[in-house]
Amino acid sequence: MPQDKEVQAVVEFHSKLSTALHSVVVGQRAAIDHVMVALVVGGHVLLTGGAATAKGLLVQCLAKAAKLSFKRIQFTPDLMPSDITGAEILEEDSRTGKRVAQFVSGPIFTNLLMADEINRTPPKTQAALLEAMQEKQVSTSGVTRPLPKPFYVMATKTSLETDGTYPLPEAQQDRFMLNIEMDTLSEEEELQVVTGDAMAQLAELPQVIEAEGLLAFQQTVRNIPIPKTVQHYIVNLTAASRPGTPDAIEAVKKYVAWGAGVRATQYLALGAKARAALQGRAVAAQDDVKAVALPVMRHRIGVNFRAENDNVKPAQIVGQLLEAVKN
Amino acid sequence: MFWGRSSILPPSSFILRCSWRPVLGNERDKSVNDQLIAPSSAALGKEHVARIRAAHNAILSEVRKVIIGQSQVVEEVLTTFFSGGHCLITGVPGLAKTLLISTLGRALALTFRRIQFTPDLMPSDIVGHELLRETDGQRSLEFVPGAIFSNIVLADEINRTPPKTQAALLEAMQEHQVTSGGTSRKLEEPFFVLATQNPIEQEGTYPLPLAQQDRFMFSLIIGYPTKEEELQILDATTSNLAADIQVALTGAELLKAQQIVRLLPAAAPIVKYAVRLAGASRPASRHAPDFVKQYVSIGASLRGSQYLLLGARARAAMEGRLAVSVDDIKAVALPVLRHRIVVNFKADAAKVDSNEIVRRLLEAVPGPKAEL
Repeated sequence: MPQDKEVQAVVEFHSKLSTALHSVVVGQRAAIDHVMVALVVGGHVLLTGGAATAKGLLVQCLAKAAKLSFKRIQFTPDLMPSDITGAEILEEDSRTGKRVAQFVSGPIFTNLLMADEINRTPPKTQAALLEAMQEKQVSTSGVTRPLPKPFYVMATKTSLETDGTYPLPEAQQDRFMLNIEMDTLSEEEELQVVTGDAMAQLAELPQVIEAEGLLAFQQTVRNIPIPKTVQHYIVNLTAASRPGTPDAIEAVKKYVAWGAGVRATQYLALGAKARAALQGRAVAAQDDVKAVALPVMRHRIGVNFRAENDNVKPAQIVGQLLEAVKN
Repeated sequence: MFWGRSSILPPSSFILRCSWRPVLGNERDKSVNDQLIAPSSAALGKEHVARIRAAHNAILSEVRKVIIGQSQVVEEVLTTFFSGGHCLITGVPGLAKTLLISTLGRALALTFRRIQFTPDLMPSDIVGHELLRETDGQRSLEFVPGAIFSNIVLADEINRTPPKTQAALLEAMQEHQVTSGGTSRKLEEPFFVLATQNPIEQEGTYPLPLAQQDRFMFSLIIGYPTKEEELQILDATTSNLAADIQVALTGAELLKAQQIVRLLPAAAPIVKYAVRLAGASRPASRHAPDFVKQYVSIGASLRGSQYLLLGARARAAMEGRLAVSVDDIKAVALPVLRHRIVVNFKADAAKVDSNEIVRRLLEAVPGPKAEL
């Protein structure tokens, strides 16, 4: 059980950061809430949505407001693993004239990494990033180097064109805690974006937290208790998404090729704890699970041909799961 | 489940009871040399298998600190450890395969590396490559070892990589050495490969050829945890319990255990049963039952009968028994034979898979007693 003042610190961070983010990013209320859940859990985020939906802006705001070192990698078809992790180069010592191999660390050695258009790069390069995400360390030429703490990857995936892209295998998508889908803006919001000056506002963004503070919050979140009934609800929810199991609901039997794995169970629990902490409650509730179910489960459910034919998306399956599973 | 019998000792009591305890520092060199002298088959005593049993229990209790459920898979992986064989696991993502194998690495103080197999992975990524280095004006080629130079290698999603790269791994598995730039280099012993295959998403994958699957001693299937297990996982992994894994057995001790396992006596009728069981899976054999002739296109190879016997020996030793029984053979039949039997299209139509064939073989092939 976390102490009151620990939870209070998370709440304060929440209100400051959310004010800061909303001052720059127009709309995207749900996305901002979910990004904060990932921050206090220490999870990675896959951002999807159409072009110009403020994906990049949101991540830049986070880097600035949370005082994290920030790097951005544009993934391209010719990017190599060493472009991400770093490589050894030969350097000449000016005094002795000897050449020595020196490790030059890649852009992954940062607190917050924006991996732009991750599906534009070939699998080996994707795998280099995804392994670093999981292990929080990088191995090159036999030496293992730890990444800075905290370490967050916010990746974007383009859905506009599918030509010339390498789809992320589902086992690798599974490493992202959340898949946040950005909203399309309303006309009113679009007007606000066009007339505003986001870059100027970004420059004025106040700093609300440092890296160490985030690490402490991750600890607090894990200390939040989750009642047995809520645990059962989580397990029932993921079990109902797995076709070929007795718990699968009708929509899953009909449309789902593979369901949410054990990581979904773990991240539903952590996400629920995080939401409770952000809202100043010391115990996670069933509503917290419901609130994070869509971003946790969406990218973990694979639909079959029939679903594509009937235009059923994983998000709709998650919606039906939430309706069908009561406790 | 037969594995349930093994009592789980805490590590401290293991150290007290067993002279074959983990050794540290300079003490290690001497004792390793003592232990590496394998006894002859005749000199094999109850105490040798008792040590293996204790070591098995000690490793198991370490693994149990972090792995919830999956008891059958854990036992089967340990059987291949004590046999010195490699293991192929088929299962969906997120079932703690990496955690299981890295924990085993820590419990045995062995080096561990994971390789994510991708369509663009090249043999040199696995084996290593030569690099031109300059020292004091002299240029020389230096070999940079690849990820395979490790005691335990997790080859993740092995069927995502093209055949040439698969072949590089599988050759290393068989020979325990790699050849690059004309020089052969021995891999560190013990050397153990655990490869995973993803059952979902068959597009864009390169299925392992049968001859290459044959190099895996066991093929295991890992499923979703039960609801009770999943609840335990949820409880244990989302709060702050970082388990401390102790070294339960060293690599040198494992090598010696593997030698003992190979020396374990097996009575002639037991050996004959293993050979009969593998033989009955071959449709051309005169011992093949009708369902094999009808449904099987390729039966188990010679490695099938060899690994049946080896797996049975390991299982007997892990349970502290000196004699291999028919039940030991039966218990390892499924993981040994399932990937070595290929069913034909008639079987596909009748929904009979190789697991079902193995189950029917176990019923159809008479045990030694029935024959006497």
